[in-house]
This record gives sequence, structure tokens and C-alpha cells, in this order.
Amino acid sequence: MARFFVERFLGMLVTLFVVSIMVFIIMELPPGDYADRFAFRKFSGLGITVTEADIQAIRVELGLDRPAVERYFSWIGNIVLRGDFGMAYAFETPVTRVIGDKGWLTLGLLVVTLLITYVVAIPVGIYAAVRRGSAPDYALTVVSYLGLALPNFMLALVLLYFANRWFGASIGGLFSPGMQQAPWSPAKLWDLITHMWLPALVLAWSALAYQIQTVRATMLDELGKLSVVAARARGVPEGKLLVKYPARLAVNPVVSTIGFDVNRIFSELPIVAAVLGLTELGELLLRAYLDLDMNVAGAILLILTTIIVVMNFVSDLLLAWLDPRIKLGG
Amino acid sequence: MAAIEPPRRSQTDSERRARERYYSASQWTLIWWRFRRHRMAMAGAAVLLTMALLGLFAEFFAPYGPTQRNATYLNGPPQMPMFCDHNGCTLRPFVHGTRTERDPVTLRSRTVPDPEIRNHLQFFVEAPRTRLMGFIPVERRLFGLEGAQLHLWGTDSLGRDIFSRTLYATRTSLSIGVLGVLISFFLALSIGGAAGYFGGAADYAIQRLTEIIRVIPVIPLYMGLAAAMPREWSTTQVYFAMTLILGAVGWPTLARRIRSQLLSIRSEDYVTAARLSGARSSRIIAQHMLPSFTSFIIVDLVISFPYMILAETALSFVGLGLRPPAVSWGVMLQDAQSIRAIEQAPWLFIPAGFVVVAVLAFTVIGDGLRDAADPYAGAR
Amino acid sequence: MDPILQVEDLTVAFRTEEGPITPIQGVNFAVGRGRTLGLVGESGSGKSVTTKALMRLLPGNARIDPQSQIRYRAKSGEWVDIHRLRDGARKLRQIRGGEIGMIFQEPMASFSPVYTVGNQMVESIRLHTSLNRREARALAIEMLAKVGLSNPGQRIDQYAHELSGGMRQRAMIALALSAGPALLIADEPTTALDVTIQAQVLDLMRDLQRDLGMSMIFITHDLGVIAQIAQDVAVMYLGTIVEKGPVREVLKAPQHPYTRGLLRAIPSLDRLTHRLSPVPGDIPGPSERPPGCPFHTRCTEAIAGVCDRLEPAETMLAPDRSARCHLLQTAGRATA
Repeated sequence: MARFFVERFLGMLVTLFVVSIMVFIIMELPPGDYADRFAFRKFSGLGITVTEADIQAIRVELGLDRPAVERYFSWIGNIVLRGDFGMAYAFETPVTRVIGDKGWLTLGLLVVTLLITYVVAIPVGIYAAVRRGSAPDYALTVVSYLGLALPNFMLALVLLYFANRWFGASIGGLFSPGMQQAPWSPAKLWDLITHMWLPALVLAWSALAYQIQTVRATMLDELGKLSVVAARARGVPEGKLLVKYPARLAVNPVVSTIGFDVNRIFSELPIVAAVLGLTELGELLLRAYLDLDMNVAGAILLILTTIIVVMNFVSDLLLAWLDPRIKLGG
Repeated sequence: MAAIEPPRRSQTDSERRARERYYSASQWTLIWWRFRRHRMAMAGAAVLLTMALLGLFAEFFAPYGPTQRNATYLNGPPQMPMFCDHNGCTLRPFVHGTRTERDPVTLRSRTVPDPEIRNHLQFFVEAPRTRLMGFIPVERRLFGLEGAQLHLWGTDSLGRDIFSRTLYATRTSLSIGVLGVLISFFLALSIGGAAGYFGGAADYAIQRLTEIIRVIPVIPLYMGLAAAMPREWSTTQVYFAMTLILGAVGWPTLARRIRSQLLSIRSEDYVTAARLSGARSSRIIAQHMLPSFTSFIIVDLVISFPYMILAETALSFVGLGLRPPAVSWGVMLQDAQSIRAIEQAPWLFIPAGFVVVAVLAFTVIGDGLRDAADPYAGAR
Repeated sequence: MDPILQVEDLTVAFRTEEGPITPIQGVNFAVGRGRTLGLVGESGSGKSVTTKALMRLLPGNARIDPQSQIRYRAKSGEWVDIHRLRDGARKLRQIRGGEIGMIFQEPMASFSPVYTVGNQMVESIRLHTSLNRREARALAIEMLAKVGLSNPGQRIDQYAHELSGGMRQRAMIALALSAGPALLIADEPTTALDVTIQAQVLDLMRDLQRDLGMSMIFITHDLGVIAQIAQDVAVMYLGTIVEKGPVREVLKAPQHPYTRGLLRAIPSLDRLTHRLSPVPGDIPGPSERPPGCPFHTRCTEAIAGVCDRLEPAETMLAPDRSARCHLLQTAGRATA
């Protein structure tokens, strides 16, 4: 167990290292650098002509004239050692301040989304497999096709439209108006919970459709296994049999793809957040990209990816615990 | 779907002929026969073909240009051709006209529908000259009105015809998908091919790299690349940059599939034979290995289409992809972003229907092709 | 013969995409208390479907014909009409495992990979007895020892994939016997094993059957195995029993051309000079069942105009011995 754990942990660190390099490359991609944008922003509208020398001065002051490799190591070093993601130029404050509690909000949203996905997908997928070929099974197949074809953000728009038409209600946001700026309190937390389920449901949409199909397919596969027939031949009652034998194994592929689901959810997050007005990392990432505030964008991309990598690690451990066939020796 | 089985032993002539036809059919004929039996997939193919034709010949099917404005019909609702109204019925479909009147409160002039005017629908109407696909000149449109404008699906806030724009958008979105898929296919084939053919350390390195790329959430990654496009780029530059981005992000999944296919073929005897007779690596890959898994690749390509289309739509939707004056489904949906806009003009949401239908069509075609290409798929 | 199980006119039909097929047609046989019936046939002859029907384990698209009768004499002495039991009925569950045990060809696949051997044994024991968890575990260890597993106290907490092939099949036997069934159905239990281990497992099963006083249905495609383990034999071909009777008599004087063909295909030390002669041709698929005698397409002695038209009736050669062949009927008529 210890060896398995250490191996996976080291693998995770290597992945994070390579990911951080790619994130850094993305941050460097837009034409011009932080100094250009900083200078443009600071002096535009003031009637001051900015010369190339001025920009160069800023560049030197911020250490942007150093080679990329050096800048990468100072960037990642500050993040790892001091939790310092640099300055957000659009806000002229440290990135950590801009992000604030948005990281926690995002994490909370993620957890609720995953919970909805699994609590719905596992029983529904099992039911569809057991009732294979029935009307509910066909209906679910249609829904899963839609899960891929109707992107989450369009679902969000559709829901917004109908909520407005039928209930006259605005369903966006993570908080009631007025609660947004309030300090954290039990009332604010409750407000968050009552607002969170709908965005979570929208975010869960495609992961849900995918997982229902996965569970259904695995379950169908398992239902035909000899071990199930053998258990039935020993007189195990049908209900207990389904749960103990095929269903128990149908959960494994779900566990092994947790990281994948987190990836899918984060992938949809920025656009859904924009549509539903969710004030968390996804929405901030989109704004940062539009403003070319690459320090913020890079920080968020790195945070999101780190969460995914960690979830992959967790799912590996969970699977090893759930499935004795995986040799813990490595 | 059951796989086609060889016709059973029997005596009649026609059946024997059918059997001979079955046994002598080429791989592609067999796949086509099996695909044809997949009703959903055939429906998907028909829908997609229609879309592609509408988009390709948008200059003929669309009554107006993508940026042409009708200042008298802003945010106008869809006009459905009808046969009957309060004045009775006719065999020629028509829509009601509009008239201008002065608002009694604000005294501004505004356009209101006038149910007394009937504008009859006309086919093959004369219109300003444009060029089909940029080079075949046309002076007629499939349908239109004379002396007035027909907006089947309404207009946006600038008075542009949603129907016409949707057709042009279909062309852009589908073609961007095709190019994106081709680019990612090219990358996947080179990279996955190298991994699958050489194996060993190269394979390991490429494997790990694709794994790591896939860890970064896709749309934020697309956005990061798209954000880097200079704002001053022209529509055409952005268009091609988008196909490159789509291809650059899309390849890892495809590369992994190609690699695993190649690895299984690599150990086949005929590949060993070719290697022993001294053929070059590239020749072995192209001549001996590729043909045997072309059908798998085609299935994978079809399946990866929806992701391209969805990515383009998503990026353009948030303003990081194509930008006006280009029209794509995503660009059109930008107008439907705010709840106020959809409330006032729900028809702005029509392009979303196209996205959904196109993705569904690709998905069912992919499923049909997969079943058709795999002779054992039906047995399960 | 004091029967524990009587099967009369068993017919099973399947709905398939290519139309209905009937892999089992009018099968009759009985299993004597404390005796072993060997069920022989090539793959595709319907042996496994027959035994699955006995336990009502057929898939959803299968239907047992209402004419069929499967009657089982329970340990309490009462007769149970298995064919009449409702799916999921309590009685059916008691019979499965508690009265009739079953072992399969692939021991690896018969165990769930995520539970230990002991977990599944304790589950089975507790379903059919009133033992508590600890007593059930003790019994399970005892059973594992009985089937010859070394170190049973340790094996019980292992997973099937941690055992070797022979050990797995022994564990499977222990699992099937743990709830004390009176009848054991063994579906080709030695086919997947090495030859040496095959012999060990056969010995084990024979000993267990004798010691526990069980009845057994032993399915195999190998008449040689039958000679070692069974007292009675039924030969199946395309869903019908073509010949049955006590093993010694059937092997000594086979009456059906198919049985004779199977016998010629067994290698034996005193016939090393002869080439083995397999039964010519392949068994037709269940949807291509030939008209008349199902075996006529491969029979070297088929009578044209008779065997390909008429289905042969069962000829009783002795009270416990019969065969279905036109040759016997014409011979019988000639002597009469």
C-alpha cells in the first residue's frame, strides 16, 4: 500500500510540474507582455505619451526582461513557497486578493455537482440496465444523447428562459442580491446552499449523461457474468444479489473517472458561470482571458488543474481500495 | 443491430446470387450495407447532408446576405408563411406586410404589422448578384418577396435576417469543424503513429505527454490559446487560427486511439514480413498498417466532430473565438447571452437548435459507423 | 431406482433476433438418489441449457414449455414442481443452493472478484442454515479442508484470483456444497483444468459424492470421464437425448450411431494402433435443426427417406435403457 501510494504521489508531482510549464506557456502566448499592458492601462487617458523606454523601465523593474526559464522558476517558486501568484494588473492588487474566497466557492460548487452526478447517475444507470429495453431505458438513452448534444451553457440559457417565463424568477447567481458582499455567516451559507443546486445541476448535466451510460453499460456487462449466475444458483435473493454482485462492480468505472468528471465540470465552468452569473473562479478566468490579465488566468488555470490532478490521485486510491484485483505492490 | 449474416444454405437461384454477392463484397461495401440498416444513423446522415448543402449554397438558399440589415424590422419576430387569414384563404402562401406609423406618445415613427397587406411568397426571385461559394455567379434566390422582405425566423437587434445568417453560420461552423478535425487528425497520426510504431521510450514519453495535456480542462485551454489571438487579426486570420487551435487541442484523444490500434497491428505477421524485407518505417506505416485500420480512424474522426463544433460554439459564444462580422452558430448565440435578449426575442436562440441537431446527427452517425465497421458489434 | 429428480418432456425455446429457436426438445431423464448421472454431448448439444432450466437460471428471452415437468424430491421428502415455481419465489431460492448446488466450468468467473472466497461461502451458508456468522465461517473452513485445500484458515480470506486453477475449482466445489445440497449439478467442472489436476478433481468429486451421499448430474463432452464418475449416462444431441442407460451397458453396447461415434473418438491404450475417428461433420447450429432425426446429416448409417423425414421415437431396450434411432425400430420390427 505504501509503495502504491508513494508511486502515485510522485506521478502526481511530475504531472503537476509539466502542467505548470504548459500553463506558463499559455500565460506567455498573448502578444505583448505584462509591461505593455500595464503601461497602456496606467497611462492611457492621461495624455501622457508612453515611450518604448518607459515600458522597458517597467519591464526591468518587474524583472520581465529576464529569460523565460528564469521567469518560470521565479513564478512557480513564489507560488509553491509563498502562495504568491503575482500581481493582477487589471485590479492592481495581488492575484490572491482577486481570487479571495472564490477558490472555496468553486470547490464547494464542484463537490455539490459531483454529489448530484453520482447520487443520480449510479442508481439510474443500474435501473436502466436491469430494466433493459423498457420505456424508461429508452427515454434515458435519448436523454444521454442530449447530454452530449445540448452543451451545459445552452441548458443554462434554456432554464433561464423558462424560469423567467413561467415563474418570473431570475435563477442565476450564487447568492441573493445583497448577500454577495455580506461577510460570511450562517445566513449567507444557507443562502449559498439554496442558490447552488441549480448551477450544480446545470454543471452536472453532461457528466451525468455520460456516467449514466457508463454505469448502464458496465452493469449490463456485469449482469451477464457467470459470478452473478453462480450467486443466483446459490439462492441469493434478487435484490441483494443485484446490489452485492453487479452493482458493486458497476461503481468501479465511476470511481476511476472522478478526475475525468472534475475535468469535464471545470471545462464547462467558465461559460456556465458567465451565463448564470456565478461569481467564482470560472467566471473570473473568462474575464481574465478577455482582459488578457494572464497572471490571474494562469493562477486559476493552475488551481483548477491542480484540483483535477489531486482528484485523479484520490480516485486511484479509492479504486485500489475498492477493487482487490489492483495489485497494491505497484 | 444484428450484423449481417451470410444467407443460409438454400436452393433458390436468387439467394445463391445474394450469397455470392455477399462473399465477394469489399470491406467498404459491407460496411455500407451494415450502415444502411442502421435507421437512426441514416436519418442523421440525411440531416447532416441537408445542413451541409444549405450551408454550402447559402448564397442561393438564404434570401439575404449575412450582414444585410432591414432597418424597418429590428428585433422582428419570425414571419410564418400562411394560406389563410381573416380576409379568407388563398393557395399562394403569403405573409402580412408592415406599415409605418407615428407613436402617439413618443411621436417616433415605428413599424407595425399590417394584416391588410398580403405579400405573396415567390420562388426563384431575382436578387442582387452574388457568387456561390465565391465563384459561381447567381442572380436568384430560392425564395423571397417582391417589394418587401421576408424574415422566416425573425431578425436580430440590427435587423439582420436570422434565417439567412443561420445558413451562413452553418457553413462556417461545419467547415471549421472539418478543418479542425483534419488538423488534429494529421497531428494525431504523426504523433500517435510514431508512438505506436516505435514503441519503447518514445511511446512512453508521448503517452505521458498526451495524458498530461488531457488533464488541463479543455475549454479553459482552448480559451487560453484563443485569448492569445491578436485583436487586430482579420476574420480570415481568426478563422484559420481557430481551426489550428481546435486541432492542436483535439489531437491527444485521437492519438491514443491510433497508437493502441497500431500497437495491435504492429505484431501482425505481414508487418514483420515487410520489415524483414527491408521496407522503410514510413512505408510500412503508410502501405501496410494504415489500410487495415482506416475504418477505425473514420469512426473516430466522425465521433470527434461534435467536440470541435461544441468548442467553436462555446468559444465564439463568450467572445474568444470568431468575432463579428464573421457568422457562426456561436457568434449568433452571443446575441442570446443575456436573459433580456432571449426574453424579448426568443428566436435569437434558433442557432442553438442547429448546434444540438448537428451534434446529435454526428453522434448517431458515429454510432452507426462504429457498429458497421465492427463485424462483431452486432453479436453483443 | 429411487429418483431425486424427474424431468419429463422438457422443452425450452428462446426468442432471438433471427426468430425463435428450440435448443431443448422433449428431454426425459431421472436422477437416482445417491447416483451420478452423466450428461454427454458436444458443445451446442444443449447440456448446459438443460441444467440451467433445472435451476430456472435461463435468461429472460428463454421460455420453458408449459408441458415440461421438472420434479424434485426435497430433503423433507415432499415433491417440488420446479417448473411451476414463480420467479423469485422463496421456495425456488431454498432449492437453489440449499437443495441443488451447482458448479461451473470456469471457477474464476464463478467467483466475484471483489469478495473473498469466505465471504461468498458464509453468505451461502447463512442463506440456507440458521448458523450465525462465526459458526458459518467455521463450517466454511471445514468445507475448504474437506475439498483438500491446504491452510484453509488462510485461504478463506483470499480472493479467487489469488488461488491457482485447481485450488479455485476445489474452492468452487466447497462453495457449492457448503449449504449442504442433496443434488450437485457439475457443468464441465474439469474442462478448464490441466490433465493431472482434472484427475484429482474427479477423484475428489467421486469421494465427496460417496461420503455425503449426494446425487449428482455431471456434464461433460468426454465419455471417458463418464466412465470414471457416473453410474448412469444420457447422451444428448441437438437438444434431445439420443441414448441413455447405466454407464456400463451403454459403453459396452452402444445402440445409437452417435454414441458409437463418440466412443470411437476416445483414445485408449489398447487401441493405439488405430487412428482415432472423430464423428464426421459439425454439429448444426440450433437454428438449423435438420428435419427428421437430428443426427441424420452426420450419420453413416442413415436410411434415406426415413431418417431425413421422421423423427425417431424412443425405443425402450430395458426398463432403464433406451435410445432414439430408426435402426432400432426397423431391427425390432424385423425380429418381431
